[in-house]
Amino acid sequence: MALVDLITTEVVKVPLTSRDKTGVIEELVQVLVDAGKITDREKVLDAIHKREAMGSTGLEFGIAVPHAKTESVKEITMSIGIAPQGIEFDAIDGMPSTLFFMILAAPDQSGPHIEALAEIAKLSKSKAVLQALIAATSADEVVELFRVD
Amino acid sequence: MSPISKILVYINGTEESITAAQYALVLAASTGASLKVLYVVNTKALNDLVTARIFLKAEQMEYAHDLQADAERYLNHVRDLARSKGVPIETESAVGNVHQEIVNRVREDHIDLLVIGELSHIRSRRDEFYDEAERAMRAVPCSVFIVKDEERVWELYNKME
Repeated sequence: MALVDLITTEVVKVPLTSRDKTGVIEELVQVLVDAGKITDREKVLDAIHKREAMGSTGLEFGIAVPHAKTESVKEITMSIGIAPQGIEFDAIDGMPSTLFFMILAAPDQSGPHIEALAEIAKLSKSKAVLQALIAATSADEVVELFRVD
Repeated sequence: MSPISKILVYINGTEESITAAQYALVLAASTGASLKVLYVVNTKALNDLVTARIFLKAEQMEYAHDLQADAERYLNHVRDLARSKGVPIETESAVGNVHQEIVNRVREDHIDLLVIGELSHIRSRRDEFYDEAERAMRAVPCSVFIVKDEERVWELYNKME
């Protein structure tokens, strides 16, 4: 499954309503719960928090990529959230994060998991795309930025 | 004389790639072609993730280990599929850049048909979003067979004696 297959309106939230790191993580997980992608919300939150405890997934340029392996998903799963006002996410550049890609994968899906994260890494180098995403005001707009109809 | 004498099927653990392996078994059995099954441990992507600081060093090691375990698991699965139908196969686990390793194997082994699983039918606007198998498809010098219709492939595989 290609990353573009994962980007549907049901897994995109614009704008995020949370104001802190914990809230954002819960909100991104809830998007996936509501979309029927997660079988155990608490296990997913635990996995994400464990990973964050090792080191923040907040990167430069306002991007954050919280991710984890978990048995609570059947396949690669992603949610996207946008917080134009910025949220403190302990990012490596000390700046607030505005664009969130949460990626979850089952433990035996390491290959696709890594490829999905690598695609996000490449995307994060395109300032034009990042700016367009942060400026998006709806889930439809976000999906449109990635997919050709 | 069969037009196909050497088949390479690339698997990455996805359902689509396992379906491709099943179809490759059907093809090998019906044409008499030799069949090699390739899994690539994507260390390039791992390195890119550390460079991008998405992965910590500890994660890189953990996932490298997971990928090796995945390689064994999926290659064993395809060996079982082949054994149950009496089709001789060769398996290989390579390490590196996925599409480049596929191209290398095609060239070094003089493969005349690369078999891969179904690609995404959704077109991406973003050049950054690519499928390694799709990249290989464009780069290899041999013909490429993209396997679709999982149900039909299962039927063909099950009918094999």
